[in-house]
Amino acid sequence: MSSGVVCTNMGIKPGQRFGVKGDIAPGAKSFVLNLGKDANNLALHFNPRFDAHGDVRTIVCNSKKGEEWGAEHRESQFPFQEGSSVEVFFTHNKDAVTVTLPGNHHFKVPNALALPSIDYMAAEGDFKIKSVNFE
Amino acid sequence: LQEKFEILNLDVKSGDSLKIKGKIADDTNSFVVNVGKSASDLGLHFNPRFDESVIVCNSKCADAWQSEHRDHHLPFSRGSQVKIHFLGDKFRVRLPDGHEVEFPNRHGHDKISYLSVKGGFRVTSFKQD
Repeated sequence: MSSGVVCTNMGIKPGQRFGVKGDIAPGAKSFVLNLGKDANNLALHFNPRFDAHGDVRTIVCNSKKGEEWGAEHRESQFPFQEGSSVEVFFTHNKDAVTVTLPGNHHFKVPNALALPSIDYMAAEGDFKIKSVNFE
Repeated sequence: LQEKFEILNLDVKSGDSLKIKGKIADDTNSFVVNVGKSASDLGLHFNPRFDESVIVCNSKCADAWQSEHRDHHLPFSRGSQVKIHFLGDKFRVRLPDGHEVEFPNRHGHDKISYLSVKGGFRVTSFKQD
């Protein structure tokens, strides 16, 4: 998967809302937003799959601790369209990472790492980040 | 200086702009915004210094600093929000009062792929378009 924007030292505190806006490529198969401490320690691996790894229109989430993946969480709601712009919001606390999708759908994933702050974000795949907001 | 905020793999081409918004710490003497290809190759090093009331600009090629450009117009107030725009063939930084600082694209970079911010400026958003 092609690598996109990587941000470090963001210092996003619990309760602070983090928004990512970007363009989903026409004919997109899959994209990823990774959030955490660094590339090997991810509070959230967020992977909407349009058509990839045997999944169709499914969001797959996971966490990663020192290169070891956690348990997968799957979401069937999929408010994404190939070739469109989209904004997704994330907030975290010690128990969970909350993901807010377009249309105000939201879901929670356990915060397996309970990080004191989110410092790292990386995008991969068929998604181009246009803006990031963490006021 | 605090840990530097860094973004890799940006894709800001000639004619595009990059806006950075943030807050200047109340007690800071200076901050730095760097843009270019990597930490060693910077098209623009933008460094407002409150203690000297000057904005120092420079570029860096293969880890070597080039000649400094100084602008004594410093409209940033501590604790206020600022927006910075970067445009294609030269760099144009728009200050909060509308004043613009221009700096040539000395090393002919075809796009900005790297950004770093350090010192007393806490980034709260960025946008490339």
